[in-house]
Amino acid sequence: MAEAPHKYLHAFIAEATEQLEQLASELVRIEQEAPGGSLWDSIFRRVHSVKGSAATIGLSAIVDIAHAAETLIGKLKARNAKPERTHVDLLLQATDGLVQEVQHASGTAQAPREGEKAPAAIAARLSTASAALPDSFPLAAVPKAAQKVVADPSLPRLDVSFALSKACQAPGARSLIVQRKLKALGTLLEIDPQPTALMQKKGGARVTALLATARPIDEVRAAFDGIPEVEEVEVRLSPPPTASRPPQPEAQPGGAVRTVTDAPMPDDGRTDATVRVRAQALDQLLDQAAEVLLGIARLREAARKLPENASGVFEAEIDRLRRNARDLHGRVMNARMTPFSSLTERLPRAVRDLAHRLGKEVELEVQGGEVELDRTVIEALADPLTHLVRNAVDHGLETSAQRISMGKSLRGLLVLSARRERDKVLVEVSDDGAGFDGERLRQRAIEMGTLAPGKVGEITEQQSYELAFLPGLSTREEATDLSGRGVGLDAVKAAVEGLGGKIALRSAPGKGSRFTLELPLSVSMANLLLVQVGGELYGLPMSRIVATTEYDLSARGGEGFEARSLAVMGQLVRAYSLAKLFGLPSLAPPGPRPFAVLEVDGITFALSVDRLVGQEEAVLKPLFPPIDRIKGLAGTTVLGNGRPLLVLDPRGLHELAEASQRMRGAA
Amino acid sequence: MPQRRVLIVDDALFMRNTLRDIFAGAGFSVAGEADDGVQAVNLFRDLKPDLVTMDIVMPYKSGIDATREIVQLDPNAVVIMCSALGQESLVMEAIEAGATDFIVKPFRGEDVLAVVKKVLGE
Repeated sequence: MAEAPHKYLHAFIAEATEQLEQLASELVRIEQEAPGGSLWDSIFRRVHSVKGSAATIGLSAIVDIAHAAETLIGKLKARNAKPERTHVDLLLQATDGLVQEVQHASGTAQAPREGEKAPAAIAARLSTASAALPDSFPLAAVPKAAQKVVADPSLPRLDVSFALSKACQAPGARSLIVQRKLKALGTLLEIDPQPTALMQKKGGARVTALLATARPIDEVRAAFDGIPEVEEVEVRLSPPPTASRPPQPEAQPGGAVRTVTDAPMPDDGRTDATVRVRAQALDQLLDQAAEVLLGIARLREAARKLPENASGVFEAEIDRLRRNARDLHGRVMNARMTPFSSLTERLPRAVRDLAHRLGKEVELEVQGGEVELDRTVIEALADPLTHLVRNAVDHGLETSAQRISMGKSLRGLLVLSARRERDKVLVEVSDDGAGFDGERLRQRAIEMGTLAPGKVGEITEQQSYELAFLPGLSTREEATDLSGRGVGLDAVKAAVEGLGGKIALRSAPGKGSRFTLELPLSVSMANLLLVQVGGELYGLPMSRIVATTEYDLSARGGEGFEARSLAVMGQLVRAYSLAKLFGLPSLAPPGPRPFAVLEVDGITFALSVDRLVGQEEAVLKPLFPPIDRIKGLAGTTVLGNGRPLLVLDPRGLHELAEASQRMRGAA
Repeated sequence: MPQRRVLIVDDALFMRNTLRDIFAGAGFSVAGEADDGVQAVNLFRDLKPDLVTMDIVMPYKSGIDATREIVQLDPNAVVIMCSALGQESLVMEAIEAGATDFIVKPFRGEDVLAVVKKVLGE
């Protein structure tokens, strides 16, 4: 053990952890890869890279394992045959051993590394396996990245850079148009990022390109005039290449350290440089940005008490400050965006191990790995997603023998996908297994007393599947230790809803099932309408407010009012009393009473309140136990005056209102 | 400047009407309207418009295939794809097929006109 930690130990650990995660997921795929394919190159490169860095720092145990693994990989690759499962198992063990050593170096693992898990023992097993294989030709040098476009060296090189406007809704398509334009002007040697890498991203990205052309700079610049949504175009002569540019490190975010792109760059013309930032530092930044916003809100509050002639100036300045702070908050939020792939990287290994233990063949397909979500969402999703995947392998997918007898393909298919839809991300976990057993679920629900036997006829087959989300309802008599004990689909549902999301299940007997998780892109700022009920303030998300109105109910039955219809903008909508929904006294004087008109899932409804207080922007914080159990609450926040505020969830309120309607109807 | 002539292609009447209003209000002449890709190519051949707005997902022939054929008829044809949010890969396919530019639904009149004026160099 080194006495003083190496200056870059932290960076090494972050990088090696990423490399090893990737390595594990590639090893899982190698059994399906054609012999000698490019995946072997990547696997070799990762082990090689970890070995090199570890040697620099002096972590000899890592070097020993990596070296032995590298030799085995080299021989397997040269063999030009599919690897045997034992070899892949061995390499996965080596990866585990490397992870363990990296954790040891970081001080996060103190467990003794003895017996078969000792580095020397792992290296010895790898060497034995290598020795049993015939000698190979020395491995070719680590292959270079994608082939470079070549151009007449005598042509001038132009550095071109531009930004896509923030409003740009299809940055991939937009930058493809620019790419086509540049190609028409000369030989496009580089463009970074590639248009496809910008797909489904937000606008605002900067793109740089290197163009070899005989055309004058002005003509190249003028070519941008006919392209919408492109800003800050810069075209300048590129300095002659003295040495080849260093390759850009591949951004492979994941784990505790992520790569931040999009940051304002120094004026060296390269705008795609990245810098590693500890995730914790970003969290702190976000907290501080939120604090600044809170401070500004308090200032604004205070400025209102200033004499008339002074307050104007203050408020204008505070507004400017607030815009800046909001922008800052938004940027930090963006920097926290993490790709979906960071969640799925570990899954191929888990699926492979679990499937083998159960004697099943499972093919895992991940789609939309590049779709980005806020880190909070990603982190909260890790367990639910793992649970759904394990559940599918354990309960959903059949054994190969069962599948063949049913005329299905030998290998079960498990698909994990993420895609962006407006301000939501849809994550789906689907399998082509046996599907849920509606009858079993109904039986269990009856046994547990959550479903009245008389109601069985009233629920559809699809609704029966949704029973699986009820607490404690598992169709298995006992939970297998594989798919986790104590974590049920009810916990998955709770986790998704805790993020402000929704979960749905579709299933077809014998064909498979699909879970759809609808998640918010980020946990962001909420613009709130403040309302007063029973002497307390509550916040309603402005995004759901369609209108506010006043109505005199005393003329129509007044106090006893529970629910009725109101005419709002020519439309008849249901109206409910917020006070009644929460069992609070209404302190409003008789006479006209204010209503907030909301829309949820296409349904418009009105809520009566005692008073409309105003609007405020706030950072929404998640609910904490025990108030997270109360239906109709979305979160908490702190107002400019320092008072805590409960933020209401319009969807929950509507459900609550409907339920109380039904109860009244039944009574 | 002579009045610019536009061909509007969309299978939804609502979208055609919306686009018609936008263009008519900005001094364009709506030369024709098509509600599928086959009709679009035929009308383009007959009308030789200065500009085509092209929906992507349409019956009989997609906007992408129609664009490819139109660009073959006239390499200088100005075809602007009208896509819904989340169809970026289709838009990119259309650009590869020769589309000049694109607008993303839902759009406002000024968004459409800004793109059109930009690509027509006005």
